[in-house]
Amino acid sequence: MHVRRTIPAAVWAALIAGVLATGCSGSGDAQKQEQPSGGEAPKTSANVRPQPTAEGNKAEGDTLKIGIVVPINGDQKPWGDDALNGAQIALEDFNKQGGIPGKKVELVIGDSGSNTEQAKSAAEKLISDGVLGIIGDVTSSNTIQIAKSAFEKGVPVVSIGATNDDVTKQGANVFRVCYVDSFQGEVMAEFAYKDLGLRNVALLTDRKQAYSVGLSNNFRKHFEQLGGKIVGEEFYETKQTTFTGQLTNLKAKNPDGLFLSGYFPEVGPIVKSAKAAGLNVKFLGGDGWDSKEILNSGGEAIVGGFFCNHYNNKDTRPQVQHFLKRWKEKVGGEPGTTMAALGYDAMAVILDALKRCKSYDSKSLTAAIEETENFPGVTGDLTLKGQNGNPRKRALVVEVRPLPEGFVMRKAIEPKDLGQ
Amino acid sequence: MVPGAGLSLAAALDFGTLPSQVVNGVLNGAIYALIALGYTMVYGVLRLINFAHGEVYMLGAYTALFVSWAYGFRPDVPPDQLPESSLATLLVMMLASMAVCATVGVLIERFAYRPMRNQARISSLITAIGVSLLLQYGGGLFLPQNPPPTMNERVNPYRQTLELTLVGAPQQLSEAVEAARREFQAAERTFEERLKSEKDQFNLSPEGQRLRDAKFEAERRLRDAESKLNSAQVTVRVGAGRLAILVASLLLMFLLRQLVLFTPTGRAMRAVSQDFDSAALMGVNVDRIVTITFVIGSALAGAGAMMTATFLGTSITPYYGVLPGVKAFVAAVLGGIGNIPGAVLGGLLMGVAETLVIWAGYSQFADAVAFVVLIVVLLFRPGGLLGSSAVEKV
Repeated sequence: MHVRRTIPAAVWAALIAGVLATGCSGSGDAQKQEQPSGGEAPKTSANVRPQPTAEGNKAEGDTLKIGIVVPINGDQKPWGDDALNGAQIALEDFNKQGGIPGKKVELVIGDSGSNTEQAKSAAEKLISDGVLGIIGDVTSSNTIQIAKSAFEKGVPVVSIGATNDDVTKQGANVFRVCYVDSFQGEVMAEFAYKDLGLRNVALLTDRKQAYSVGLSNNFRKHFEQLGGKIVGEEFYETKQTTFTGQLTNLKAKNPDGLFLSGYFPEVGPIVKSAKAAGLNVKFLGGDGWDSKEILNSGGEAIVGGFFCNHYNNKDTRPQVQHFLKRWKEKVGGEPGTTMAALGYDAMAVILDALKRCKSYDSKSLTAAIEETENFPGVTGDLTLKGQNGNPRKRALVVEVRPLPEGFVMRKAIEPKDLGQ
Repeated sequence: MVPGAGLSLAAALDFGTLPSQVVNGVLNGAIYALIALGYTMVYGVLRLINFAHGEVYMLGAYTALFVSWAYGFRPDVPPDQLPESSLATLLVMMLASMAVCATVGVLIERFAYRPMRNQARISSLITAIGVSLLLQYGGGLFLPQNPPPTMNERVNPYRQTLELTLVGAPQQLSEAVEAARREFQAAERTFEERLKSEKDQFNLSPEGQRLRDAKFEAERRLRDAESKLNSAQVTVRVGAGRLAILVASLLLMFLLRQLVLFTPTGRAMRAVSQDFDSAALMGVNVDRIVTITFVIGSALAGAGAMMTATFLGTSITPYYGVLPGVKAFVAAVLGGIGNIPGAVLGGLLMGVAETLVIWAGYSQFADAVAFVVLIVVLLFRPGGLLGSSAVEKV
């Protein structure tokens, strides 16, 4: 190998030519074809979930054990910490209000370590320790593993933050306190079409995240049902750093809104470069936006964007006010993520069911959770009865405002508002 | 997503956006080129693929972030209390990143590669992979990553977008936009007047809803007019920050060229790269030259990292360098590893190829393209575009 004595002039010429290159005029109408959308909304009562055959655990003595599996280590730690604190506050509240006479409820903690393998083994350990039911995890993939182990042993699971539609199809022992992705896609489509008056929306999807792909498809389906048009869809990958190519394409489609279904680490930079690419449109997204970091990474461009969330600190409902007061006493400040309120609700739902139990074992606990109706949770009133584990509850549309305001709640959309 | 549907939709190409996309590609390629130089220089001198180069880049991004925090651009500061940024701030950040990266590069060479220099080449290669993993996961223990931080955009004083219209639109289209804009503004004013008497912007009274819908109608007409105008003209839009990346990269590459060609150190580097042992026999201090190579290569990565972190504002994690590292490595091989102009050419080619794939409507395959280009080039020119494919004497 020889090192060149001079850098060939051709290289520099190519460089300059590249910058000055001009193309031919005229524009092709690169219209995207219709893509069949996946992630169908689960039809309530249409499909019957398998019943666990195992007996589950029975309470021994006066202690009723409830397990919680959340990420206390790993990259989902902020969510896990918030969820755990929320659950502990819920237990304290329950005991203050009298609890269950003659019994003591104990919360046994398991660490999912932000990965599926550890989530599974943590759940199995809790079950062999004799917990009556489990709450957790904060993500869909971890919850599915927990649900599988719990199904084999006949123990009920109440998930905190698993929004993927398929999670509760694991069995009749699996429930959640958050809404599902098909619902938030519909909520945002409704909001975009009716409240923002958008008609031509473009999608930008993180091809590596099943969450993002599913949410984009759900948004597309409902937005088109309302009469809107999806003018284009482009893809990127988690950890990608430049998005100018995709955004230049979308700019040429002249959208009036951009739906970003990915997670906040990419959404912030995307929004910034979208503004630079001349896309002065409304930005919309799902609960993947829910981190204060997006205010920094999205800069001035993200201000005025809307996303769907489970909970907001500025909500005026009495349950939220009570929760915020208790959080300030116990943890300090305000909860940083929505998982705090969802963790509280998951625990509160299971405790409420425990109170209604005829006997203290997993089987009657599962039945009691299934009977939950109009439970006044922090994240909204929720009903699990006859819903196949997916609660009927509201979703919030939140606007991104500059600090110190942060995320401001704009609208709460109930399932009945969408005709469900 | 159905792959079949994705394949058929590229039938209509939009030539109006082609100039913009080529510019985007060159701008992305400049960064690849900057990182690729580090790979190629180390390979040229040591015949070693420095897999830890991407991690040096990652440390450069974190350094720039910490310096920006020291200047007061912390994420928890409300926008109106942020300090003013200037070119001097950027220069300090860049120099700090370059210095830290150069130090890290030299340390890696001194403690990981030098003891391995006389061993079989595969040992050095494995060591390089080991250092790379050590920095990724070791960095995960100490560096902030929950949530992944980003540089505050106010650090960058050049945030405006530059517009260059190549093909203008007919007069009547811009007049139509102006007319639609006036109509929209009128409708907006009426609605805003009404909004003052409404309780909640998102739960309006029927009259409010009517005015809002009228506003939306006017807005849509404005959008339509703008769309027509947009489709009729060919415009290249570039963020000033991205242009700054290109200018700085070219400047650094030019300095490197001058150094390699016209200084005694550069001559020694070329000698070492031609024949390591003979250069030593001719009195070249080989260890010193290797150290200098690592200093320069790592410093260039540091400069690149500082610029991407600042001007593109992407989230910084301990794995920040993995993808750019792989791409730049491919760029270096593409141009002919060991060849300095080759790295620049390879980087630019990769950037343009990727963007053109996105332009053609296949954004889901953008990352795969880099490797397809590599395979095709290596089939016809095994030494890379500018590299020599002479058989090495064993």
